[in-house]
Formats: sequence, C-alpha cells, structure tokens
Amino acid sequence: MIRKTLLVAATAAALAQPAVAQDARIGLLFGISGAISAMSPTMVEAARLAIEQVNAQGGILGGRTLVPVLGDSGCNPQNATDAASKAVNIDRVLAIVGPSCSGAVLAAANSVTVPAGVTIVSPSSTSPQVTKLADKDLVFRTVPSDAYQGAALARALLARGVRTVAVTYLANDYGTGLGESFKAEFEAHGGKLAAYQAHDGAKASYRSELSRLARSGADTLVIFDYGDGTGLTILRQALENGFFRNFVGADGMKSEAMIRAIGAKNLGTLLVSAPVGAGDAALEIFRRDFTARGGNPDGIFATTSYDAAFLLALAIEHAGGDRSKIAASLRAVATAPGEPVLPGEWAKAKKLIAEGRDIDYKGAAGDHEFDAHGDVPGTYALFRIAGDTFEAVTRME
Amino acid sequence: MDALGLLNYALFILILAGIYGLMALGLNVQWGLTGLFNAGIAGFFAIGAYASAILTGPAVAGRVGGFALPVPAGWLAAMALAALLAWPIGRVCLRLRSDYLAIATIGVAEIIRLTIRSEDWLTGGVRGIAGVPRPFGDLPYLTAQLAYLALVLAVVVVAYRMMERQLHSPWGRMMRAIRDNEAAAAAMGKHVERRRLEAFVLGSALMGLAGALFAHLNRSITPDAIDPMIVTFLVWIMLILGGSGNNRGALLGALVIWLIWSLSELATDRLPTEVAIQAKYARMFLIGLALQLVLRFRPDGLLPEARRTRPRTQDHP
Repeated sequence: MIRKTLLVAATAAALAQPAVAQDARIGLLFGISGAISAMSPTMVEAARLAIEQVNAQGGILGGRTLVPVLGDSGCNPQNATDAASKAVNIDRVLAIVGPSCSGAVLAAANSVTVPAGVTIVSPSSTSPQVTKLADKDLVFRTVPSDAYQGAALARALLARGVRTVAVTYLANDYGTGLGESFKAEFEAHGGKLAAYQAHDGAKASYRSELSRLARSGADTLVIFDYGDGTGLTILRQALENGFFRNFVGADGMKSEAMIRAIGAKNLGTLLVSAPVGAGDAALEIFRRDFTARGGNPDGIFATTSYDAAFLLALAIEHAGGDRSKIAASLRAVATAPGEPVLPGEWAKAKKLIAEGRDIDYKGAAGDHEFDAHGDVPGTYALFRIAGDTFEAVTRME
Repeated sequence: MDALGLLNYALFILILAGIYGLMALGLNVQWGLTGLFNAGIAGFFAIGAYASAILTGPAVAGRVGGFALPVPAGWLAAMALAALLAWPIGRVCLRLRSDYLAIATIGVAEIIRLTIRSEDWLTGGVRGIAGVPRPFGDLPYLTAQLAYLALVLAVVVVAYRMMERQLHSPWGRMMRAIRDNEAAAAAMGKHVERRRLEAFVLGSALMGLAGALFAHLNRSITPDAIDPMIVTFLVWIMLILGGSGNNRGALLGALVIWLIWSLSELATDRLPTEVAIQAKYARMFLIGLALQLVLRFRPDGLLPEARRTRPRTQDHP
C-alpha cells in the first residue's frame, strides 16, 4: 500500500515537473463540477481569452508566457480549498481568478490564499459575507455584491411607476441576496410587495407556487433566478397560465437561451437588470473578441471572468511578478486616476506600465473602482427584448 | 514547485484526510461494528459544524450568536448536539432493518440540510456563518497549518484509541455478535436495540466533531459544504475501501481516497481546457473505479477486519 501511495505521489510530482521557470502562472478556479457547472465553461473561456490576448501581444513580465492553471472549485469548500492549495503550493500561481461560489471563496480565502499571501479575484461570488472577510486586502471581486443590484432594481421600478409587485426568488445565495436587498429598498421607498416567497431549484413545475403568487393581486412578477435554469420554467409556466402580465428579472435572467426557448414575441413585457460597463465601448470590444473566439458574450459572468483575468494580468505586470505586491498593484491598475485601458489593450497597457504611468482599466463589466473591501459598486441598466437579443432601455442609478 | 510548497500542500491534505478519517471512524462503529447503514453522515457533520460555529463565532445582527465560547467548548458541544440528535433518530429508525434505516437517515440528513438553508435566524441561511475562530489561525501559513494538523491528529489519535478499546472490549465482541447473528445475541440475553442505539450515538458524535473541525479550519461554514456527494458518499467509499470493521482500515481508506481525489486533479490540469473540463468529472469516475476494483479483488477492503479463524483453545482433539 505504501508503495502504491509513493507511486501516486511520484507520478504527481513527475506531472508537475514541466513547470518551466520562465512561465508566469495564474490560477483559474471555477466551479466546473457542482451547482453552477452549466455556467462554468463560458466563464473559463472568457478568462482564457484575456490570457491569450496577453500572450499574443508580447507576453507578460518581459516576454514570459502567462500560463493558466485550471482547477475545479466545485462550488463547495472541500473542493475549493483543495484546488486552491494545489494552485498556491504546487503550481505556485502568482494570483487566482475565482473561486466561483461564495462559500468556496470564504473557505479558500480563510484557509489557503490569505495565509499564503495570494491575491484572488472572484468573478461570480455575490454574497455580502465576502465583504466582511478579514482578508488583509487580498480578496477582490469583479461582480458587485447582491446588496447593490437588488436595491438599484427596486429604485428603477419605482421610478417607472411600478408600485406593487410579487417576488419569487431562488433559495440560494444569489436569489436570497437579491430578494432581500430588493425588498428592503422597495418597501423603504413606498413600494408594496404583494407576495414575497422563495422557491427551490430543480423542480419540474412551479404552477402551485405561481398560482399562490398570482392570488396576491399584483400584475408584475419579479423573478430572481437563472434564465437557463428554473427561472425559465417559472417564466414559461407563468406565461402559459396567464398568471402575470409583466415580468422583471436580474442579471441571471438575461439569458439568450431563454429567448430561444420561449420566443421573443412572448417576452414583450419582460425587463431585466444587468451590470454594464461605464463605457459601452469596453463591452463592445469584449463582445467582438469573445464572439470571434466562439464564446457567448451574454453568458452569465462571462464579462466579469474576463475582467478578473485581465486585471490580474495587469497587476502581475505592474508588480513585476512579485506575489506580495500584486494586491496593491491591482488597486493601482484598476482605479482612477490614470490612462484608460480597455479590454484587449494589453500592448498599450504594458507600454504605459513600463513608462511608469498610472493606468485605469475600464472593463467589459464595469470600471472596477474597488472600495476598501475589494468590492465593486457596479453600474446597471434595464434591458428589454428586441429582436432576438437584449437592448438597454435605461441606466439605473 | 519547491519543497516548502510541497510541504504546505502535504499538510493540507493530511488535515482534510484527518477530518474525513474521523468520520470514517464514526461510520466504522456504526456499520463496521454494528451493521447500521447510516446514509445521513452529512447531517451529523452539519450539526457539529453549525453547533460549534454558532457557539464560538461572533455576534451578527439577525442571527443567534455572539456566545464567543472557547473553541474546545464548541467542539464538545458539537459532539454533544450530534449525539443528542442521533438519539431520537436512533430510537425511531433503528427498529428498521438495514435498507430502511438507510432511507430514513438519508431523509433525516436532507431535512437537516434544508432546515439549515432556510432558518436564517439560526444558521445564516444559504450564506452560512463566517468569522468562526480558528485555533492558531493568526500564525504564519506553514506554522498555522502545522498547528492545526497537530490538533486534528491529536483528536484522531484519541478517537482511534478509544474506538480500539471499544472494539476489543466485551462491548465490541457483543456488538459483533449482534451484527453477525442478531437472534442468537438476543437469545443470549443481550439488549439488541439499546446496544445499537449506543453505537449509533457514538458514531454520530464523532461525525459531529469532524464537522466542527472542518468549520474552524475554514473559519466559515456554508450549506454547500454539507452536500451528501462530498460528505456521505465519500466517507462510505473510504470505509469500504479501507476495510469496514477495522479502525486502521477506516483511517487508511480516508487517506487513500483523499489522495486519489486530490492528486488526480494535478494530472487533469495538464490537459487543454476543453478536455480538462471533462476530465474533472473523470475524477469521480476514478473514485468509483477504485471502489469497484477493491470490491472485486479485495471485498473486505485494504485492511480487512481481524477475525479469529481458529478457536481460541486448541487443546481438544
């Protein structure tokens, strides 16, 4: 048995050997297996796009190659800490994009990356718990905490004259966070929640939940769920049975799969909120590049994953490859003031950094002005469906 | 890769293998020794993790907490609460025969999981509890890991010694007698139901303690940590592969399975992304394959239960 163990260890060591000294490594920890496995491939591809752009435009740290190390954080603490420990200790990554889910971020940060002094940027963890983490300024997010989006959506609806709504939210981190912040803001500004209830994921039918919501008398249903998951089922069944007239969703519902499944002509009364870049130019560049690579730029968390990887590449270059300086460099390259850098402009950014100029990355998902906790406030817009895609209606304050 | 990194990684693997080993020891008392099919390990793990986190963690508005008890008190409470919960469950379910007990315990674990996800005032709901203190957590990375590993190993060694004593005591012989021939044991005047309840409660307390160790390691506990896939079934595979009925087998099984699980990912990392994403799933297949091979070629596990094959006295002709 001992022989077998040794054999396994030796094989692993041999496999880990091709670590060429010239490579700069960056960890990509995504929930490849587990609860959000359906979204992960797009997120991985988006992060890889950023890395490919870096390598295509002259590489990092004086011509070295930026090598991604892909790990499965599985959307749970066990897998996330294990994957983070491997990335940090075996692969010696300079920084990490991920993990995906909030519980995974909390565990990996607490037991691996913060003690080891490695900077992580999660593109998809939205729990307010991450804000409160005692992280020595090593944990960042390119996706806003749920607390922002729900409140912004509530204000936007009130501004459009919607006073009474029914809310149903998915009973997970994402849905609960949005639901709570929406409820607090909507009621504080004079709105009325006729019904407010959670639903479990992965059920085949939500008709009984929907009929209960419809009995509340509201004609607008707010759905905090994913448009390629149970959100689709709820929306379809609500339409089929005529339970509600108007529908509102958050970024999870901004799914083109949903338009294909239900048909644009049936979705004329749907509004969704989603984060947008301050300059739409940044988003357009990303959309063009990612589509050209065969990716789906509307995939959930595609933009934030791309930005997390590109920002970390900038920070690694700025810090000169010194692990301990990357967090400070991340703040320097992400926040104003500075020469604006857009997605894909690696050669330009590299030149500016080499000249010692201050840069300010304007990402596909937003400006990424990190606050003291490493969170981003996020800018949002309301979208409606036009043709087969989403079209921005108004910006949300 | 350098020696220090390798050491840090090895320490981390040992910590997790120790925590899983503790659960395997607990399952060994229940299944290996007594023949109780507990398919709700995740539930007891969760009770222990949350109990200790709530009792030792900071106060948060809108949730029970702020007791700030010392960590050892949290660990004792984790064991006590897991045991306390196991008692009524055992009273109700242990009258059922093996497969029905499995169904009942799966159900109980699922009730616990859903309760934890929805009772915000107690458990923080889907967001879980953060800010749980970690013993020696403020030391530098390597030292903190070493210190925590020492704690986990101390707990595992104590648990192992106690389980060994139980196994070799008259109690252990009685349990095996009940497992192998319940009717005969009952005819000898043994109180079968009460003994089974003892084993069930004892094993569940160890699972609760493992949960507490896990929560303090990560300074947080969230409902996604109590997924039956990565708690219940992984522990079962560890025990079966290591050798049920043998405490050393349980610990070895935990180490081997965790090594396969963790090291196999290092191999898949070297593949191109498109393949690597699929290869992550191959890890689960590998675990299943290991189990199949063991069941085919060593059905009693790597370290089978020590059985007396010869009579103790050989003086008769």
